[in-house]
Amino acid sequence: MNILLKSVTIVNGNNKDLHKKKKDILIKNGTIEAIATKIDPPAKTKIIEKDNMHVSIGWFDSGVSFGEPGYEERETIENGLMTAAKSGFTDVILNTSSTPTPDSASDIVFLKNASKNLLTKLHPLGNLTANGESEALAELYDMKNSGAVGFYDFKHPISNANLLKIALQYAQNFDGLIFSFPLDRNISGKGIVNEGVTSTRLGLKGIPALAEELQIARDLFILEYTGGKLFIPTISTANAVKLVADAKKKGLEVYCSVAAHNLTITDEALEDFNTKYKVMPPLRTSTDTKALIKGVKNGTIDLITSDHTPLNVELKHVEFDNADFGSIGLESIFGMLNNILDIEDTIAQLSKGREIFNVDPPKLEIGQPANLTLFDPEITYNFTQDHIHSTSKNALATGRQMKGKVIGTVANNQLVINE
Amino acid sequence: MSELSVKHLLGIKYLNESDIQLIFETADHFKEVINRSIKKVPSLRDITIANIFFENSTRTKLSFELAEKRLSADVLNFSASQSSVKKGETLIDTVNNILSMKVDMVVMRHPNPGAGIFLSKHVKASIVNAGDGAHEHPTQALLDSYSIREKLGDVAGKNVVIVGDILHSRVALSNIFALKLQGANVKVCGPKTLLPKYIESLGVGVETNLRKALDWCDVANMLRIQNERLDISYFPTTREYTQQFGVNKKLLDSLDKEIVIMHPGPINRGVEITSDVADSKQSIILNQVENGVAIRMAVIYLLASKIK
Repeated sequence: MNILLKSVTIVNGNNKDLHKKKKDILIKNGTIEAIATKIDPPAKTKIIEKDNMHVSIGWFDSGVSFGEPGYEERETIENGLMTAAKSGFTDVILNTSSTPTPDSASDIVFLKNASKNLLTKLHPLGNLTANGESEALAELYDMKNSGAVGFYDFKHPISNANLLKIALQYAQNFDGLIFSFPLDRNISGKGIVNEGVTSTRLGLKGIPALAEELQIARDLFILEYTGGKLFIPTISTANAVKLVADAKKKGLEVYCSVAAHNLTITDEALEDFNTKYKVMPPLRTSTDTKALIKGVKNGTIDLITSDHTPLNVELKHVEFDNADFGSIGLESIFGMLNNILDIEDTIAQLSKGREIFNVDPPKLEIGQPANLTLFDPEITYNFTQDHIHSTSKNALATGRQMKGKVIGTVANNQLVINE
Repeated sequence: MSELSVKHLLGIKYLNESDIQLIFETADHFKEVINRSIKKVPSLRDITIANIFFENSTRTKLSFELAEKRLSADVLNFSASQSSVKKGETLIDTVNNILSMKVDMVVMRHPNPGAGIFLSKHVKASIVNAGDGAHEHPTQALLDSYSIREKLGDVAGKNVVIVGDILHSRVALSNIFALKLQGANVKVCGPKTLLPKYIESLGVGVETNLRKALDWCDVANMLRIQNERLDISYFPTTREYTQQFGVNKKLLDSLDKEIVIMHPGPINRGVEITSDVADSKQSIILNQVENGVAIRMAVIYLLASKIK
């Protein structure tokens, strides 16, 4: 297949010669063949020409959940990856949120096979412990050899400190990346929202920021003792940023991510008890969002994730206490981030971080495989159900103003264009 | 005739000051009615009300039921223990099934904060919140303020302390909103473990010394220690709680002025207050119960007039 991208503005911070230049890009059988001011299309070439079209390398999300196997009604791998492609993502890390939970090499192979030959590449995580039960380590080495890029009991904190110590030690000889969800369950108790002014007004049980920070502090002490590679997914408090910054300064190999909604929305949104805002970690305060944005900008926070969590309507259309945690986010992350960061920062954030998982970053260069995201950075619109590609519709972004829209993606010799 | 600014009574924080005054003036009228020999008016003959209780309650349910009957409404009672909720039916389905039988108003108690608000968005009926988790219990706060007004002439400018488990209490939260709206000064008092960390953001003072709190106040609202609701121990023993936060006659008599003692009931005699305090002339606990019927009649009457 030949594709010609006509008059597309290149956003590529790494290449000063191309950055912000308007060019034609010719892709032949999945490889970037030419980048020039004007290219005459060869025969049988699909020409893509859109208003204000920009291009960057394909985007990367470090934490999405689908449903398959076990919760296909929430999302299948195929439609989940199509949603990712339509949302600009050419590589995604899949959380261990399916059932049965992926805790063996054969589970990893299943996920790799089910996602083969699609535009967006799926990189599965494996469970850290057998059955995700936080008792004994799963076969991490075997899963790594089958394609698992990290080990995570999805959103289940490791309450046993010794288990984390052993995991960090054990995974070192095969460069394994250990995830630890930052929550001390003894402190969080039955909390479901941020402990603060809003939870007090609403009588909802609060999760103190302390619950997250204590766990991170503990984990960093353990990491300092053991060495190894620790990933702290979805931090949400100002002090968490500070703890990670201090640890990085010390030279510890720690990485962390933040969910896009924790950067853009505060717990004041809960005033109406709307379950779409029930997420884990909870929405926090404006002090936290400011500190998190600063952490993103200065590199303390390595990755911004959509924390995409499809849930069927029955799990959200209930009393607030009884609703499940989570929101889909792939479709809205670009429009939300582009509201708070400038376009170059937005694209840099959405493109970076593959190295942490030993995934090769794409290059926007002649001779390289075409792995590209096409977007209009200026267009503004109100996010509605019509913008959702996911099987589940639990989006906290509905009703919010977006800036920027994905036009399509090119990767794995395939093209997806949003109509 | 004036009317309420709201279609439902979901919480005090959704009311304004004139709503409260209107409810009180209407309750004045109904209080007179329930003290007549014929205690009933025909106002709501064409209204059907369902009392839906997903949580145990005796006095609130009785009070609502009596208020509805005094207004001549048709009354349906439904409690979760005998219901399909245990078979997995959702709240909306349960209520919609009841509403299909042409019910105009729902009085609901529910263990989850915001349940009434959730319901009000998805069903066609007037909703009265009879307590939703640790969120609000608006009719209790209204009857408490009404009782203070009756005893002291006014709520504005009065010093009110709420003593006990503030963390798990919808009564405390609704009372704080109601008292602040009417211009009272409010403090909360209890062990730090039972005071929400951010409670001062609601404009109330915090006092952990009961003696100091009582010296300051005109009214002490003594909340029940709800041991059955506490998932972990917030204080070592009830005995030790009482030593620090229980009011006895000796303490009451040692104060410079006669303060008013309130309690939303049911009382744990000897825990929050001793029997001689509960039965003293400073206690208005039974007036609260009587006023509860008048207040609930007023709320239901005013909301029903919005249905028509």
